[in-house]
Amino acid sequence: MRKRGLLPDLLLPALVLVAFGAAPFLYSNELMLFNFVTFLALAQGLNIVYGFTGYLPFGYVGFYGAGAYGFALAVMHLHAPPLAAMAAGGAAALVLAVVLLPLLRLSGAYFAIASLAAAQAVYEVVSNPALENVTKGPYGVSLSGVFAPRFSYFVALAILGGAFALVVWLRNSRFGLALQAIREDPVSAASAGVSVVRGRTIAWLLSALVAGLVGAAFAWHISVFYPDTAFDLGVSIFATVFVLFGGATTLTGPLLGVLILYGVYNWIGITVPQYFQFIYGALIVGLVLFLPNGLVSLLTARGIRVP
Amino acid sequence: MSPEPPLLVVEDLVKRFGGFRALDGVSFHLAPGEVLGLVGPNGSGKTTCINVISGLYPPDGGRVSYLGHSIGGVASHVLARRGINRTFQSPKPFLSLTVRENVLVAATYGNAGVAPDLDALLASVELDTLADRPAGELNSAQQKTLDLARALATSPRVLLVDELAAGLNPAELGRMADRLRALAAGGMALLVVEHLMGFIDRVTDRVVVMNAGHEFFEGTLAAAIKDPEVIRVFLGGAHG
Amino acid sequence: MLIGAIVAGVVFGLYFTLVGLGLNLVFGVMRIVNLAHGDFLMLGGYAAWWLLSAFGIHPLPAAAIVLVVFMLAGLPLYYLVVPRLQRARDSEMLSLILFFGLSQMIEAVTTIVVGTTERSLPGRLLGIGPMIVLGARLPKPWVFSAAVSAVAVLGVYLYLYRTRLGTLTRAVMVSRDEALATGIDIHRVSAIAFGISLGLAGIAGVFAPFMLGSITPNIGVGLNITAFAVIVVGTLGNPLGTVVGGIVYGVSLMLMQTYFSSWANLLPNLLLIAVLLARPQGLYGRRVRLA
Repeated sequence: MRKRGLLPDLLLPALVLVAFGAAPFLYSNELMLFNFVTFLALAQGLNIVYGFTGYLPFGYVGFYGAGAYGFALAVMHLHAPPLAAMAAGGAAALVLAVVLLPLLRLSGAYFAIASLAAAQAVYEVVSNPALENVTKGPYGVSLSGVFAPRFSYFVALAILGGAFALVVWLRNSRFGLALQAIREDPVSAASAGVSVVRGRTIAWLLSALVAGLVGAAFAWHISVFYPDTAFDLGVSIFATVFVLFGGATTLTGPLLGVLILYGVYNWIGITVPQYFQFIYGALIVGLVLFLPNGLVSLLTARGIRVP
Repeated sequence: MSPEPPLLVVEDLVKRFGGFRALDGVSFHLAPGEVLGLVGPNGSGKTTCINVISGLYPPDGGRVSYLGHSIGGVASHVLARRGINRTFQSPKPFLSLTVRENVLVAATYGNAGVAPDLDALLASVELDTLADRPAGELNSAQQKTLDLARALATSPRVLLVDELAAGLNPAELGRMADRLRALAAGGMALLVVEHLMGFIDRVTDRVVVMNAGHEFFEGTLAAAIKDPEVIRVFLGGAHG
Repeated sequence: MLIGAIVAGVVFGLYFTLVGLGLNLVFGVMRIVNLAHGDFLMLGGYAAWWLLSAFGIHPLPAAAIVLVVFMLAGLPLYYLVVPRLQRARDSEMLSLILFFGLSQMIEAVTTIVVGTTERSLPGRLLGIGPMIVLGARLPKPWVFSAAVSAVAVLGVYLYLYRTRLGTLTRAVMVSRDEALATGIDIHRVSAIAFGISLGLAGIAGVFAPFMLGSITPNIGVGLNITAFAVIVVGTLGNPLGTVVGGIVYGVSLMLMQTYFSSWANLLPNLLLIAVLLARPQGLYGRRVRLA
């Protein structure tokens, strides 16, 4: 019965990848397209950990920032070529995720807050004037030597492809089923032979890796940025809202969330971000109260399988 | 002693919660093909005993041996693969997963050898017609049965059954008793915690009676109900 | 220098007791985490600033006004969201997400209304010059805020232990189900506790411009982490334990500022993570770990 889902699960991401692959040749605002790709990937990355283990890291942006600074430090201090620096960004996020593994022992609400505190702590370290020689502190980094907007756009698109592939795999594999079993009841999952610690760890690391690579691609694409942008809590908030709005554990949910909400944001909102902060806040409140499983639950509650 | 050597041996097992000794030196053994009933008033330590044997809590003293090896403190998911599994007093299925997915997870991850045929397994516990329904839509008795099916999907040699009968109607009770007897006839060792004495009488070969964290009687149920100490514990001070 | 830092820490920490007190009361009674607590505090700060600049009202009567208004605002807010949340399967997690959304709404509205300019209140309103205690030079506003905090703690103590409603509140804190079974009107008790919690956040906010130097609409998130750190250190769900949490936080902060000043901002974050991992029960009590 799981097999029936594989074709639509592959079709939808393929369509999105093709559309965003062609878009830069048809539409001139490449930064906006890049931001779409970024949030599509971040939303699926968050989906890996939230949708499949039920753990919602409010500090998800910490991995994004770690990736961005991993990239920047590799370029500034090691003069690494951009693709090697991308790997450094991914590695930085993985290292942070490993350091934070003990947080997975906490139950959901405490995990969420502790991860937020962790992201803030990393921000305080990176932006500390005492580390100006290493990170440039609060004054930000400039990587104009590696600036390559078109190439980095396609690298981000490849990362999105990878994030889609991970979610498709989780949705159609027994490992993904085991993760959902852990989410539903860790004690029962252990009785069923599932290693709870191992399952959560893998999901956590994969999710961090996606955010780290996206952050590295952001650093490359934008090339001049500050700790306030790389660790902007808004990144966590956006990704969280997109996933909650559409519905976690599916491919469609986070995708719809980004296309609809980020679409509207770009259409009207960029000039007065507070209106959107307000609307997103209100959306979170409304969703938790009235539609905790997102838009797709309107269909799944009627027994319709949504890719 | 049973003719067969015991599969599971529990010796002087101790489990403390803060200052409270939930298990205070309980001992018994379980042979292949045997159904052992664990009875006693509420709070006497029956469920704690299952929780320690199945790896949910590490013991604070004493020994649990399985096939001659000490397994005290070994994690649940490891024990599941080695052949020890359980059901829960209040059922704990994976609510958003279908019935079939519930047993599929267990068959995939909890099996050291060849996984059983899931269709046959679900049919044997009368859940086959509900296979594609989310477990959250099942009633409580069905969820308990699903707990059992999930445990069986790991092909256990020792099965710990925690109050499976509560909430079943008389016809279902009878079928459940036959099912447990059939499992024992196939060589499985069962430890059954239950309050319904009729059910205990129907399924068990032997009972161990517990009070205040340790056993004080071992023998057939028929002998137990004539034992003055058992009568005192069940009808006297401690209310059950 | 060490003694001075410790004395200053205790006084500063008493204020942070007030910051966490209401959050802990809500957690204790409702088992939910109000992640907009810091934003209500921020609103209290702007209320004080507005009352002073528009009407010339001194912060002390302003605190009384804020207390009443915020308490009254808490009642409808409770009935709008909390009972619905508590029916959900994972209400702790959902409450966190919901109040996170509310926090964003409050921050956005405040930014739209007052802008992002830093606002502060003249410290002389609460006394001029430092006060010397055991060699520590304490700004008078600190001593003043700590005293208000002590009064608030006393007030919460008297409410919980000397009034009928307080006794019912403690019953709900011990066991919600049993309180329900004995016929206690849980929603009335909880709604009042929620109102008191917002009132406490409001008062803490009135003194925030003095204690933090200035306020902006985005201080809520940081304050939430700080408040949560304070109550986790001082035992979740035990309002009076917050005193211990506040003082531990205040003293550690002053020691950090004395000896490692450039890293002092890390403190609440690291303290929170460390305590959650090492002593998840605080001084005693609740399990927050799964495995």
